[in-house]
Amino acid sequence: MIVGKQKPFEEIWDMIKNFKKVLVFGCNTCVAICHAGGGKEAEILASMLRMKAYQEGVEMEVKHAAIERHCEPEFFDPVMEDVKTNDVVLSTACGVGVNFLAERIGDIPVFPGINTQFFGAVPKAGVFVELCAGCGNCVLHLTGGICPVARCAKSLMNGPCGGTNNGKCEISQDVDCAWYLILERMTKLGTLEKLSEIKPPRDWSTGIYGGPRRIVLEHIADVEAQEEKKES
Amino acid sequence: MYAAKRVTYAKKLLSTVGIDPARLEMYNLSAAMGPKWAEICTEFTERIRKLGHSPIWLAVCKQSGMKRSEEK
Repeated sequence: MIVGKQKPFEEIWDMIKNFKKVLVFGCNTCVAICHAGGGKEAEILASMLRMKAYQEGVEMEVKHAAIERHCEPEFFDPVMEDVKTNDVVLSTACGVGVNFLAERIGDIPVFPGINTQFFGAVPKAGVFVELCAGCGNCVLHLTGGICPVARCAKSLMNGPCGGTNNGKCEISQDVDCAWYLILERMTKLGTLEKLSEIKPPRDWSTGIYGGPRRIVLEHIADVEAQEEKKES
Repeated sequence: MYAAKRVTYAKKLLSTVGIDPARLEMYNLSAAMGPKWAEICTEFTERIRKLGHSPIWLAVCKQSGMKRSEEK
């Protein structure tokens, strides 16, 4: 899932303080799981903004709402008319949601209420860890299911650097050395010899470094386009 | 355990918007501790009295033009 963290309150206040009608708009999928931007968090943030507005003597109407997903158009349909009645939307969805809404809402500004952080998992309640970098060229079958791109601080592809220290990374004792984990795991699986195979240089252009990415499934996208054509 | 941590978090939120976190408190006691409950209520009421009106209430009064003497 996508993990985010709410922006500092003062930064949010600076964004919206000059608007009269504000909607704090939550997303009930990934960012709700990480307690950053779901309906509940949107409601709390709206309440805090109301309190702040009162104290600052700013006349402002702050509403809150949430939909299940900010990354698919059909979820917006039932609420879009209401959303458009505001002067500004403070979205607590991830960056994807903010972009997607901004493209659809017309002349109303959409501001981010959270800082989108990473793709991660929830090893225990309240803890979120990055496990995938979305690099577009997965090597997990070669590394025992442990990603060196996301989990090694240097994204090294050929074993640990000199900073590995008793299984921990030199950047912090709280961070495991990904290559230590890979070696341990592959030893357990009996597949350590895979690491001795010479591999060609990695193609990094499949990741964000290669520019914005797009996937089109023709067997789905074409059918939908034809149906839309028929309907019109 | 979780409740205590959440109350601590709620105190931080209150502090962020300029409200004294001392206005919120959590106490652990059982349903059989009536006298202790009464004692806590008395103490907490006294604490809130000393802290005075909440800044939100004062801001609302200011906006609506209500005088301090009219505040209830």
